[in-house]
Order: sequence, then structure tokens, then C-alpha cells
Amino acid sequence: MTIHRVIRHVQRYQGWVGGGAALCLTVGLYLGLLGSPPDYYQGEVVRIMYIHVPLAHTALLGYTVLAGGSAWYLWKRDPIIDNMCHAVAALSACFTALALLTGMIWGKPTWDTWWTWDARLTSFTVLLLILLGYLMVRTVVDDLDKAARYGAVLAILGFVDLPIIHFSVEWWRTLHQPQSISMRGVSIASGLLAPLVVMSVGMSLLFSYMLMIRTQLLYLNRLLDAKKGRLLHQFHMSKADS
Amino acid sequence: MTPFLKTIRWILWKDLVIELRCRETIASMVFFALIVILIFSFSFSMDQQAAHDVLAGMIWVAFAFTGMIGLGKSFSAELQNDCLEALQMAPVSRGTLYLGKVAANFAFMFVVEILLFPMFVILFNVDVVEDLSLLLVVFSLATAGLAAVGTLFAALTVHIRAREVMLPILLLPMVVPVMIAAVEATKGALNGDPLSLYRPWLELLAIFDVVFTIVSFWMFDFVMDA
Repeated sequence: MTIHRVIRHVQRYQGWVGGGAALCLTVGLYLGLLGSPPDYYQGEVVRIMYIHVPLAHTALLGYTVLAGGSAWYLWKRDPIIDNMCHAVAALSACFTALALLTGMIWGKPTWDTWWTWDARLTSFTVLLLILLGYLMVRTVVDDLDKAARYGAVLAILGFVDLPIIHFSVEWWRTLHQPQSISMRGVSIASGLLAPLVVMSVGMSLLFSYMLMIRTQLLYLNRLLDAKKGRLLHQFHMSKADS
Repeated sequence: MTPFLKTIRWILWKDLVIELRCRETIASMVFFALIVILIFSFSFSMDQQAAHDVLAGMIWVAFAFTGMIGLGKSFSAELQNDCLEALQMAPVSRGTLYLGKVAANFAFMFVVEILLFPMFVILFNVDVVEDLSLLLVVFSLATAGLAAVGTLFAALTVHIRAREVMLPILLLPMVVPVMIAAVEATKGALNGDPLSLYRPWLELLAIFDVVFTIVSFWMFDFVMDA
């Protein structure tokens, strides 16, 4: 009955997480759109960064959770962990696609092109393809246990691949502006940093909130399918008897 | 020889004997690649210089897609007469099965590459350097990477619907680093550039091979679990 306890805990906190997301995103959007100065070089265009960068961060965070959850699933074979992985993958794919889309919108005025085969764009595209492949495997495999195992193997392989992909395309070509926040320190004006941090936190909370809801949904679906199977079985048995 | 290596050798031997008897895989791969070369020559009207510039890219497009054919067959051929179940039931560790299949797939792909490379050079009429030993290193490292991940994914897709479609969809994004590194290193080797210019790509290929052979070897257990 541990699964039910987990779900009860999740249900108790999900309202707070959702509320926190709404609060952070509201404050962040206000700071980003009205309360912060325009960038010296990029002008008002820079404001899309407050959506683009948090989306990209959250997508990567989601992929890390997916890989961790997959390893845990292969170890413990806990069905709700598998539901969580499935939910994370779908959400990460959405966030990755949105990050690419907002990046394209940002790229048009700043680089004067919608698309370029720059290192980070390329590695995000590959990440999106890996996630879509994962989701496709989950839909074409009918057997629940197999779908979960295959998915977990794919997610772990992709996670190991991610740094190698990143380095290979980085060497291949680089045009993207260097990361503003790194281990060496922050190279961004503080007026621009505050909304970015608030938006990043908000986006992660939003991701977690949607993840909580979707995991429960997938878990209930699984229970429903199992119940349907049992009822059908009983029905056929009773017909065979009579 | 330890039993571990012996089992790998037997699995490799089995696949090679089957291939020698029916010549199905290698023949279909070579035939497919010839059609790819034909389509390339229709698609781009090239003079010698243009062909020289894109040769490495064309080579690896052809190799990757012919490789898909060989990889796809390596496990789907075992479905006949329930051979796959027999392999799963065999009292050997799953890892030997994986490594044996990787060796067989590597062998098929490498043979096809060796057969195809001269055709590329002749049909596109390009000048290449005479010493091709470094090119062989590039080919073998890149092919090992494709075989390491590809064999795992071939085993993963063998039981699922639309496996012919799913294998390339899953495999190609994963081997993006192999493709980039292979194309860059092949370019370097064909031009006769000094090794130091494309050495990082060879190192990347080697790292990819080692990492993915180990991870796939370990993951194979979870894929083959009946």
C-alpha cells in the first residue's frame, strides 16, 4: 500500500506546488516584461529570454529526472515510477519543443535567421528526437512491462549519450552566445538576472505540478485497464460456465 | 580460451556460417548501397571538386543506411523457427550473446564498407591519398560504435510492431556523435591531412565505442528478459 501513501502525499502538496508556480510565473513575467531594463545590445527583444532559458533548463532537468527514474525502475520495478517516467518524457518533449520554438523566434531578430545548425540548437534537436523515439516505443509496445523496460533502457542510453552529443556538435560548430551563468560566475546584468531566476523556479514548479497530475492520471489509467481486464475475464468465464 | 570468449566465438561463428551459406545480408546491403550511390549521382550534378568535398558525407549516409539493413536482420532473422527463444534459453550469459552479435554485425558492416569504398572512389572519379590505413582505422572505430548501439536496439525492436521503422528512428539520433566524427575524420584521412588535425575525432569515436559497449552490454540483460 506504499503506492497509495505516495499518492496521498503528492495530492497533499500538489496544490502548493501549483500555487507556487502560478505565483513565481506571475512575478517573473511582471519583472521580465515591465520591471527590468531592456538589454543594451538587443533592446526589447531580449525579454523572450525569460521564457526561452527557463524552458530549456527545465527540459534538461526533466531529462535528468527521466534517466534517474528509469534506473530506479530497472532496479526496483515499481510501476508508479514507470508512470512517472512516462509523464516526465512527455513533458520534457513539450518543454524541449517550446524551447526550440522560442529560440527560433529569438534567433530571427538577433541572428537574422530562424534556424542555424549551431551547436546547442543541434543538440536540443537531437534531444527532442530521442524523447520522441522514447514516446513512440511506449505507444507501439502493447505489453506494459516490456514498454517500461524498453523505455528505461532508451532513456538511460540517451542520458549517457547527451554529453557526447553535446561535445561533438560543440566541436563541429559554435555560434550560440556563450552561457551567461556558469561555474566561473555570472556575466549578466543583475537587473536581468532576477526575473530569469524567478522564471526558472516558476517553470520548474510548473513542470513538477504537471508531472504530479499526469503521473496520477497514468497510474489511474493502469488501474482501470487492469480492472477492465479482470471484468472481461470474469465475463468470459461466466459465459463458458453457462 | 575462457568459456566467456568461447561462447562469443560460437555465436559469431554461427552468424558467419549462416551468412556464408545464404549470402543474404551482405548481398542486400551491397545492392542497397549501390542504389544509394546511383541516387546520389542523380541528385547532385557534381564535378570532380564538388564530389571530393562531399564524398565523406555521402560515404557515411550510405554506410549508415546499409548498416540499418544488416542490424535489422541480425535479430529478426532469429525469429524463424523460434531461434531467438532458443538463444534466450541457452545456458550462457546474455552478455556473450550481445558481444557475439556485435562482432557479427561489425563484421558484416565492415566487409560491406570495404567493398563499397572503391566504388565510391571510382564512380565519383575522385582523387584520394594512396595510404589508406588511417581510413581503415576510422571505418573500424565508427562501425564499432554503430554496431555497439545498433545491436542493442535491434534486440529491443525485434519484438515490437513496425520494427523496420523503429530501428532507424531510435538508432540514428543516438549515433549523431558517431556520424559527425566519422564524416570529419574520413574527410581528414581522404585529404591526407596530418593526423593531429582530426585526431580528436578519432578519440571521440574511441570514447563512444568504449562507453556504449559497456552500457549496452549491461542494458542487454533488461532488453532480453523474457
